[in-house]
Amino acid sequence: MTETLRGPIDMLIEIENLSVTFHAQGRDIRAVQEVSLTVAARESFGLVGESGSGKSTILRAICGLAPISGGSIRIGGEAVAQNKAFSRRVQMVFQDPYASLHPRHTIDRTLSEPLAIHGLPIPDARIQQALADVGLPANFRFRYPHQLSGGQRQRVAIARALMLEPEILLLDEPTSALDASVQAETLNLLSRLRVERGLTFLMVSHDLAVIDHMCDRVLVMQHGRAVEELSREALATAQMKTDYARTLFSASADRMLEG
Amino acid sequence: MSLLSVKNLRVTFDTEAGRVEAVRGVSFSLGRERLGIVGESGSGKTMTGRSVLRLIRPPGRIEADEMTFDGIDLMAASEKQMRALRGPRMAMVMQDPKYSLNPVMKVGAQLTEGLRLRDRLSKSDAHAKAVEALLAVQIRDPERVMQAYPHELSGGMGQRVMIAMMLIPNPDLLIADEPTSALDVTVQAEVLSILDDLVKTRGMGLIFISHDLRLVARFCDRVLVMYKGKIVEELAAKDLLNAKHPYTQGLLNCLPRIGGSREPLPSLDRDAAWAN
Repeated sequence: MTETLRGPIDMLIEIENLSVTFHAQGRDIRAVQEVSLTVAARESFGLVGESGSGKSTILRAICGLAPISGGSIRIGGEAVAQNKAFSRRVQMVFQDPYASLHPRHTIDRTLSEPLAIHGLPIPDARIQQALADVGLPANFRFRYPHQLSGGQRQRVAIARALMLEPEILLLDEPTSALDASVQAETLNLLSRLRVERGLTFLMVSHDLAVIDHMCDRVLVMQHGRAVEELSREALATAQMKTDYARTLFSASADRMLEG
Repeated sequence: MSLLSVKNLRVTFDTEAGRVEAVRGVSFSLGRERLGIVGESGSGKTMTGRSVLRLIRPPGRIEADEMTFDGIDLMAASEKQMRALRGPRMAMVMQDPKYSLNPVMKVGAQLTEGLRLRDRLSKSDAHAKAVEALLAVQIRDPERVMQAYPHELSGGMGQRVMIAMMLIPNPDLLIADEPTSALDVTVQAEVLSILDDLVKTRGMGLIFISHDLRLVARFCDRVLVMYKGKIVEELAAKDLLNAKHPYTQGLLNCLPRIGGSREPLPSLDRDAAWAN
């Protein structure tokens, strides 16, 4: 079933030779260099690498938060444009739930805002449903972020990203600030929402085990370049072709119990 | 005789909302070995580490039936005695170099400050000693690092600088609070092997505080598992996979594994009885 979807026409996200260059103090910093990847509709694709490898920058470039200096990004065959139609298709969940929610806005206001920006009606039931969908009790609606735990905040951030019913979720280390048990709950929530809503994920993590659990394919990055693309099977059976991917694999925390 | 002995340690905070007990009766002893303390956020592991150095500020209070370090009663020691112990005898490495190094002071000045003021070394002797410490943590161009400000260093370098700083006075006890959580996995492995080497060659006692059970199991000799301010299980690191307590088992099982199944990860069903 998934195989038939993988024709070139069905690719939802197409990134071709993407380069991102930042200019700082008269120097050019090439954060991403000629990276290409494609993600089919309803697929879950992972980006893994160390800090500074450019994985988050790719997500930010898709959202227009990083300057693209070369190559192209197409969503559903169209070049990305930063407009409201785009944000209805693509939404992002950030790493740090302590930083990504407005501290002086109630959860109600945080969840209403995407609808308000798009001039959509904000029915009560919609907010209640959004909270229920991410497994939060209805009485959280009028709380502030500081009254919530890290895991609960990340649920709010996920609920907010889903308010506009996007097709694509960009997930930037969505669980790396969370405890192991809360990470498990959040990953389960994301997996369930992906199935229920037919979402496409592009997920960034430094944790190979998390990527392996969530993604069908993974691109290993280093110093802004794509090193190697691995299928889930290749990862599970340690069939990497490059030394760097192998290093990352053997340093991965979950190898440690066997080690 | 053990290096550190802690009996019935309690840390309480009197807040407006009532009394909060962060650590509730923790007992352990440490020889010249690597002891891991694991638990989730809020389990009291960091507070336990800080208590040993008596680094808890009011309104926090430390109580213990016994807390002795190398025969010295830490509960009875004066603040002056504690200051003399902190650094030369026992030291702590914090989690994040971004917040623990002085951002407006060059690394070299930070490394030599203690040597100049405490040990009254000359400028050149202090410099030589700092360079030596940087070499000991595998920094290959110590002179450049000495001249750098913390923001000019990567996370892994910053962490090594902090370890070097703690090791200069050659302490008997090192408390490392999540020393590798801010680092990438490959750098993490390097920093751990540096720590491991130092423990072995200098015969230090090490308390390694982490939320990462697998990392602790790999690195330590013995592990204490904390939950809500109490130790729920103590076991040899090699026996971790045979952990008896449901909390320890739950922590292990909820982690995704490479090549594992795609089934929902088992969630941790907390039992109210664990906290008692």
